[in-house]
Amino acid sequence: MTAAAEPLLAVRGITKHFAAKGPPVRAVQDVSFEIGRGEVLGVVGESGCGKSTLGRLVLRLVEPTTGTVAFDGTELMALAAAELRRFRRHMQMIFQDPFASLNPRMTVGEALAEPVRFHDGLGRAAARDRAAALLAQVGLGAEHLDRYPRAFSGGQRQRIAIARALATAPRFLVADEAVSALDVSIQAEVVNLLKSLQETFGLALMFISHDLSVVEAISDRAMVLYLGRVMEIAPIDDLYSRPAHPYTLALLQAAPGGGKRGGDRLILKGEIPSPSAPPSGCVFRTRCPFALADCARDIPRLTAVRPGHLKACIRDDLTL
Amino acid sequence: MPRVQDVPSIPPAGRADDGGALPPVLDVQDLKTFFPTDAGTVRAVNGVSFAVREGETLAIVGESGSGKSVTGLTIMRLLGRAGAQIAGGEIWLTRGDGNRVDLARLADADMERLRGSEIAMIFQDPMSSLNPVFPVGEQIAEPLRLHKGLSRRAARAAAVELLALVGLSDPARQVDAFPHQLSGGMRQRIMIAIALACEPRLLIADEPTTALDVTVQAQIIALLRALQARRRMAMIFVTHDLHLVGDVADRVAVMYASQVVEEGPVADVLATPAHPYTRALLACVPRQQRGEKRRRMTPIPGTMPSALAVPSGCRFHPRCAHAAARCIEAVPALEAIAPDRRARCVRWREIGP
Ligand SMILES: Nc1ncnc2c1ncn2[C@@H]1O[C@H](COP(=O)(O)OP(=O)(O)OP(=O)(O)O)[C@@H](O)[C@H]1O
Ligand SMILES: Nc1ncnc2c1ncn2[C@@H]1O[C@H](COP(=O)(O)OP(=O)(O)O)[C@@H](O)[C@H]1O
Ligand code: SF4
Ligand code: SF4
Ligand SMILES: [Mg+2]
Ligand SMILES: [Mg+2]
Repeated sequence: MTAAAEPLLAVRGITKHFAAKGPPVRAVQDVSFEIGRGEVLGVVGESGCGKSTLGRLVLRLVEPTTGTVAFDGTELMALAAAELRRFRRHMQMIFQDPFASLNPRMTVGEALAEPVRFHDGLGRAAARDRAAALLAQVGLGAEHLDRYPRAFSGGQRQRIAIARALATAPRFLVADEAVSALDVSIQAEVVNLLKSLQETFGLALMFISHDLSVVEAISDRAMVLYLGRVMEIAPIDDLYSRPAHPYTLALLQAAPGGGKRGGDRLILKGEIPSPSAPPSGCVFRTRCPFALADCARDIPRLTAVRPGHLKACIRDDLTL
Repeated sequence: MPRVQDVPSIPPAGRADDGGALPPVLDVQDLKTFFPTDAGTVRAVNGVSFAVREGETLAIVGESGSGKSVTGLTIMRLLGRAGAQIAGGEIWLTRGDGNRVDLARLADADMERLRGSEIAMIFQDPMSSLNPVFPVGEQIAEPLRLHKGLSRRAARAAAVELLALVGLSDPARQVDAFPHQLSGGMRQRIMIAIALACEPRLLIADEPTTALDVTVQAQIIALLRALQARRRMAMIFVTHDLHLVGDVADRVAVMYASQVVEEGPVADVLATPAHPYTRALLACVPRQQRGEKRRRMTPIPGTMPSALAVPSGCRFHPRCAHAAARCIEAVPALEAIAPDRRARCVRWREIGP
């Protein structure tokens, strides 16, 4: 296999159970997928379905219960702590609240210089030049270097957080609800920035969001999670125009403006069950309008509906 | 808030421009709410007018800081703690007995009696409005005892009924649950139950679903619409999501920098937005139809002006693709552009649909 055809990221059977009083929380359960070089994979699902845990597993910010992650051929789980710390420069994460990830007592210039000095061993002056270059990459001028985070708007702060994530020239970013707290205009600004970084630097992205329209705007493919499991994964246009899993259909129809007004919209009953006691068989069956008795028996396997489009549902007779 | 005491209510009468239709349940005219701050006066709401009729939902939509919540809080007269003052305008509420009162000038004690009985409000974050130390049933029963004089026993029975009405499973048991034992969606249902307990004529819902998952949001909106249709209640639904507006509302008022910039029937405003800001807002997150080619998200250039330094003339002019010299001369009026539509733009005719 040539290096170009090999995926940048290969996740195999990743599982995370958190210990709790009583049965463990099954946050992520047997998830496998790949992300290509320069590819954007969207991850959607309701809150608590395991999106953030999956993002952190992929960067080995939490240790998996079982499963493996290979980054460009390197087995992350096999790295010792010091090796992992050095390896981190290739993979970064940005979060929902840019304030939380920026130290309020550090100027923007200091915040950007820090990772550069750690990873590249640059001197003070060189690090400052690099910080200015990073700001330019996210569309901010060097005059901002000596200002503190509180002096910036929400959109500017998220740009700074992105600049900081880019400091070590990573090839992969996990963005966890990175635009969810922003006004729509600023969302558009940040999404376009991420998209242009992807196009310019071939950056690969795992874009986690509960907002289906933003995921649609940025992703090449998307993966739908429910109770820690993959329900469907497909190229983005396919997923939105020809959803194959009942849960995906329900999400699309529930999205604002996504369904018809009035009666014939599919509105799911009840709420997501506890991940400590997931239903047997298909985990979605307690809310699925198409569930059959058989759905309680076996866990549906991910099977191809068409090339590259996989769903975990035993019913092939549905036209959604 | 020092206000004129006890303004006598006037008998029911439609405004001259009502064309004989039912008088609106709420008629807000040129409302102004200002916050005195150390840095200067924040004019959070500055000349806002709109009306809501029986059984109708008006959505107020706009970006963060545009004045949506302050508008709602002003109508509820819940500004006291924030130190804000109504600096002008009228808020006419048509009461259940048909009489009209100006909430902007009502005495505090009279307002207290109306709040929770004839007008009610629900908020974005139910946890901060629910009391953590009381079972939810008691919190639903409280307004019933206060406004309707129900006995403890009758109020509890009514609370169980209300919990069933808002779609909680096992209401007889949940009535004794504490807020922290419930999910976000269930808490918002409790807030709705409290707000609806006394059958208000007007419900103000301030981003009631913003913190919820889309699937739960769809449930709550279906619930609100069903309850509203049954009770012919008027509703103001505050949101920052222009696409949600189409799912919930009959009419929409788009706010920018403390003013309404466009107002009209939802379907018309979404299909043919007249104000450049409404168009720009829609272009930020375009919705495509199934099979349609993907469109890029288009941000609005520049940033939202600070409430302390509002641009002269049309407040949107520094960010507007159509701005011309005369846009800066004076604040454009909210003018009629069609029988049932208004927009605050001097160039709406030239820009075209
Ligand atoms: N207590 C206060 N003191 C001073 N200014 C205030 C106060 N509350 C609100 N404001 C200002 O009034 C303006 C309108 O605020 P408001 O809360 O109504 O915005 P909003 O449209 O509801 O925004 P969001 O979408 O973020 O909820 C803002 O400029 C805000 O900073
Ligand atoms: N550190 C932790 N300890 C225990 N449970 C956790 C922890 N982190 C996440 N969980 C649980 O795992 C599940 C998935 O959480 P998360 O990945 O944060 O979901 P999402 O990001 O999709 O909202 C939830 O039930 C959550 O409560
Ligand atoms: S396997 Fe059964 S319960 Fe699960 S999504 Fe398919 S039809 Fe529904
Ligand atoms: S008045 Fe002028 S600046 Fe304001 S929205 Fe209309 S065209 Fe744009
Ligand atoms: Mg999360
Ligand atoms: Mg608000």
